[in-house]
Amino acid sequence: MYSDYGQVLIFLIFALGFVAIALVSAWIVSPKRPTKGKYTTYECGEDTVGETWVKFNIRFYITALIFIIFDVEIVFLFPWAVVFKEIGMLAFIEMAAFLLVLIVGLVYVWAKGDLQWDKPQPEIPKLDREIFKAGN
Amino acid sequence: MIQINELVNILPVLIIFIGIILTLICEILFGKNKLVVYSLSILSVLGSIAGTFYLLNKDLFVFGELLRVNNITLAFTIIILTSVLLTFIASKNYLEKEKINFGEYYIIVLSSVLGMLLMIFANDLLIVFIGLELMSICFYVLVGMLRKRVKSNESALKYFLLGAFISGFLLYGISLMYGAIGTTKISVYSTMAGITKTPVFLIGLVLYTIGFLFKMGVFPFQMWVPDVYEGAPTIVTGMMSTAGKIAAVGTIAPLIISFNVPDFKTLLAIISVLTMLFGNVIALSQSSIKRILAYSSIASAGYILVGVASMDEFAVKGILFYLAAYVFMQLGAFIVVSVYESGSKDKTDFNLLNFDDYKGLAKRNPMLGIFFSVFLLSLAGIPPLAGFWGKYYLFYVAIKSNLIWLSIIAILLSLVSLYYYLRIIVYMWFMEPSEELKETEIRSDFLSKISLILAFAGTVIFGFLPNIFFSLFNFVIK
Repeated sequence: MYSDYGQVLIFLIFALGFVAIALVSAWIVSPKRPTKGKYTTYECGEDTVGETWVKFNIRFYITALIFIIFDVEIVFLFPWAVVFKEIGMLAFIEMAAFLLVLIVGLVYVWAKGDLQWDKPQPEIPKLDREIFKAGN
Repeated sequence: MIQINELVNILPVLIIFIGIILTLICEILFGKNKLVVYSLSILSVLGSIAGTFYLLNKDLFVFGELLRVNNITLAFTIIILTSVLLTFIASKNYLEKEKINFGEYYIIVLSSVLGMLLMIFANDLLIVFIGLELMSICFYVLVGMLRKRVKSNESALKYFLLGAFISGFLLYGISLMYGAIGTTKISVYSTMAGITKTPVFLIGLVLYTIGFLFKMGVFPFQMWVPDVYEGAPTIVTGMMSTAGKIAAVGTIAPLIISFNVPDFKTLLAIISVLTMLFGNVIALSQSSIKRILAYSSIASAGYILVGVASMDEFAVKGILFYLAAYVFMQLGAFIVVSVYESGSKDKTDFNLLNFDDYKGLAKRNPMLGIFFSVFLLSLAGIPPLAGFWGKYYLFYVAIKSNLIWLSIIAILLSLVSLYYYLRIIVYMWFMEPSEELKETEIRSDFLSKISLILAFAGTVIFGFLPNIFFSLFNFVIK
């Protein structure tokens, strides 16, 4: 009667049932004696300080973007390395062109100074004229 | 297996690609001197046009049927490249005026052109998707190029959110089409008989079409057009409304016409009527020139759909001619606006874009006045100009395939459009400018004049000799 996906459905039903039975039985059977110590966060990190809406430094995003690009590059390089011998010179030229594009991009980001991790230097506002003299 | 000698067959795409890499390197080496990047990007577009002419009159599949090169795709390519060439020539003046003369502008525009060419040449739905995303992502950046203006930021974000949403539709459509037939090759679809009777495939095709109708700005999906066109830098708006639209039309129109589904015919006819109605009627009440041109570009999408709805073999060629004329007149109009426009003193808002600012423009600068009048008359479809023949061929194919009611409505609605085009012309020629306006200086440099003259020449030459276009691509007119 059932097709291959029927087995998946039965598996799902059993899995859900197993989890439900385990959780519900533990909830019924377990003793409940809460103390203050049991309600604190532990093993899950510190208590949060301040709000979670924090502005991240834009450089994190640039670094993450560059990381993803070179991550994808490695994904392409592995299958290329496997079939490299069969295809030969053409494969080498193609991958060289691909790497060239990425490297030009990296050099571009580098030359434009986007990889510099300096502390930002805020401009301290200066007044051109002295205010106190104006009264005299 | 990919052969090295096949690379010659995608020469236009390849030249643009090499152009992008070289421009990037030049931007690193000669960052201070913008002229290097500027001339290099113009050269790569010119080289790409030359590459397209080299490939003319060939009909072949490249890279294992991933790309398709024939005269129709090449014609779309040439029209797109012409639009980008005119944009590039005119953009130097505008970018300097708005103080956004970055080398990245040229690199991003070239990347978007690469995406458009991929879309046009694609014979595989996934290549179409890659091309579309490449084009769209570049457009999102270009729209937000005026970083310090709230309107520009707002329109970039709007365009990005809506565009990303519509990409979902498109991808879902592609997956349904693949699920129904088991292939993503476009050339296979048109050979399979009865393919459009499969419900799953039909749903996929509709979703896929919606993605492109959004990019064209067709009626139920047109809401982004005025806002985005208004907020974007004017020169970018000109390119988006011509090259971006042409890329979308060039991908979807030949596909729909090759299927020739009778139900689509009625549906597209109704959509095109609604689009023309919306664009032309709302444009009547606008006071900003950029918004009027945006609504007129919605109306133009409606005229193009008249051609698509006729599902005739000649329809693609008629659409191609309309688009060729459209590039010259629409882009020309936007270049005039970009030359005349000036940023406000604090650089937070646009200036000199209102109707009233165009009072007496023709008396202050007759050249701009004449050019703008010709572009607007051509957009309205006045006989000796290119826009007339563009509309003529579109309505002609509609009449030929028994859609007489559609062409009558289209002609009536294009009469409506005459009102707002003529209003600008009347303001320019017969009104006196205010004292404040008389003092403002019009900065038009040599390069933007060249691109205006090119656009003017295209509008007039295609108006008097429309056959040049058809004989160039060996298209037979019946």
